[in-house]
Amino acid sequence: MSALVGAFALRPATASARERWVRAAATSDLKAGVPVARLIVVPLVDGWYRDHARRTVFLVWDGEKSVRALSGTCTHLGCQVGWDGATNTFRCPCHGGVYEADGRVASGPPPRPLDTLAADILDNGDVMVRL
Amino acid sequence: MSPWSRAGWLATPGAVLIAFAVVQAVTGAFLMLYYVPSPDHAYDSVRFIISSPAGGWLVHGVHHYGASFVVVLTALHLLVSAASGAFKRADRRAWLTGVVLLLIVLGLALTGYLLPWDQRAYWATVVTINLSQLAPGAGRLAAAALRGGETIGALTLTRWYALHVIFLPAALVAMVIAHTILARRRAATVEEPPVPFYPEQAARTAVIGLLAGAFLLALARHGAPPLGPPADSSDTSYVPRPEWYFLGLFQLLKYFPGRYEVLGAIVIPALAVLALAALPWIDRRPERDLRRRPLVAAGLAAVLLAVSALTVLGWRDRPPAAPAAESWTVRAIGGRVFVERHTCARCHVETGVADPLEALRLSRGPEWTAAHTSDPEMIAPGLREPPAPVNEREIAAMVAYMRRLSGEPYPGFPLRTETAAAVFSRYCIGCHTLDGDGGKDGPDLSRIGRKHDAAALSRRIADPESVDPKAEMPSFGSRLSADELAAIAAYLAARR
Repeated sequence: MSALVGAFALRPATASARERWVRAAATSDLKAGVPVARLIVVPLVDGWYRDHARRTVFLVWDGEKSVRALSGTCTHLGCQVGWDGATNTFRCPCHGGVYEADGRVASGPPPRPLDTLAADILDNGDVMVRL
Repeated sequence: MSPWSRAGWLATPGAVLIAFAVVQAVTGAFLMLYYVPSPDHAYDSVRFIISSPAGGWLVHGVHHYGASFVVVLTALHLLVSAASGAFKRADRRAWLTGVVLLLIVLGLALTGYLLPWDQRAYWATVVTINLSQLAPGAGRLAAAALRGGETIGALTLTRWYALHVIFLPAALVAMVIAHTILARRRAATVEEPPVPFYPEQAARTAVIGLLAGAFLLALARHGAPPLGPPADSSDTSYVPRPEWYFLGLFQLLKYFPGRYEVLGAIVIPALAVLALAALPWIDRRPERDLRRRPLVAAGLAAVLLAVSALTVLGWRDRPPAAPAAESWTVRAIGGRVFVERHTCARCHVETGVADPLEALRLSRGPEWTAAHTSDPEMIAPGLREPPAPVNEREIAAMVAYMRRLSGEPYPGFPLRTETAAAVFSRYCIGCHTLDGDGGKDGPDLSRIGRKHDAAALSRRIADPESVDPKAEMPSFGSRLSADELAAIAAYLAARR
């Protein structure tokens, strides 16, 4: 009985995430060497609820054929980091986490670097990110 | 012992607590008449509760502040019981149920915090759920169970709502009954007969209860603090802060970097709760006078000091809020001009098919607002002819204006400022940045007045090549009126 109740209560928690490639930007939107924040809208299925989720991704372009995509989610407790051009760091407003431009932790509580997302540049200059 | 002794007064929080729990239950039940636990409607339904039903703001305000009273009274009751040694007179299980009650009360506060679905609620919950994930072993499962779905969303809201209105209150009632029965059961070592509750203790309880009730009404007389912006999972500018009684915990997190995070988040709070629960087994002598229980006295003092210090530090460690008028960005002010220039007022007027913009509080994301602004017909097909095409930057400015307007009324700016803001947010902002917002192709103009005066700026804007033959900036002399050119030049020259 309690197993049944437990399974019912936890059922949605077992749903797994599905990733997809989405267009995040064109290289003409980016600036070589400087993280550029892009807001990406992805379809979201949340139980019975259909919506669009908005994710912030920072794209760091080397100026040629390579781009790194950093998740904007702080690895500490999941707040959204912002890019601070004055100090060339990402800063988290919640608990003071600071990351270098490449996502490494500079100071504060984050346990690991900013997550890297798979990213690629197509021949036409579109920057694709897997979310 | 005199009937009006200090110990009698100190014993009142326990009984007053019951009264406040009833207030929370009753106001909560009435809030349920209107509240809808869905991401699409939660925010709007809370706004409706505050603004529409007679006394809705008061019911909401009392429920909001009442939660703080319950937390404070629970902590006070526990503290008094520990300090006065009152727990030694009763069954030890009374103390244990009391500790469980504290956790249930905090759980109610936490789950209730999410329900308005504003930014504050959303981000506090993100942090809470990610914290639970740190728990060794069951952390992932706990976080998934609290979240419901993959992300914090519809499934999270309904389960927190269910926890808040039925599961936790049911547990609370059961525990309060157990606690009350056990607390009145004498421990074997106590010989003195129990003091009857009626009439003296009942009178003291009534006095304290009425005073606390009056204080609660005084706090809630203007309603709860206003809702923040609606929950937005991608807003990088929002700085989340928990409710004040969790500020200590919030501050503690900042001291444990990297892999030690679990210490501040889970280990220290869990040890504190365990130590609290074990108090009757640690402090076993019948001695009740705090002066002769140095270990307990020192422990309580240390905990009080640590909690207050962390709370004060957490309180003070917050980003400075920008003064209201200054926080209107040039884009938002420009948006005001475009809103007036375009046809929004055809529908958004008192007598129109939609509410005036001033009365709206955006509960939709910027994409929706942008889409609606560029083609209002999308939400009301057939009502009106499609609008003239609108420039993309004007749309961005109008969205910025409406988002800002959701927070506070338009304060009004001089006409020249509005004109300059409209020019900047229509033409300049694609390449130039002002106060951190704008394009990066041209120089940041936030302090341009230090380099050039209005006359020089006017020349540079009207015909850049006349000043610098290699200038990449297009000339705006033919696109701007004389008034517009003068306004934008004067505005930028004042930026120092």
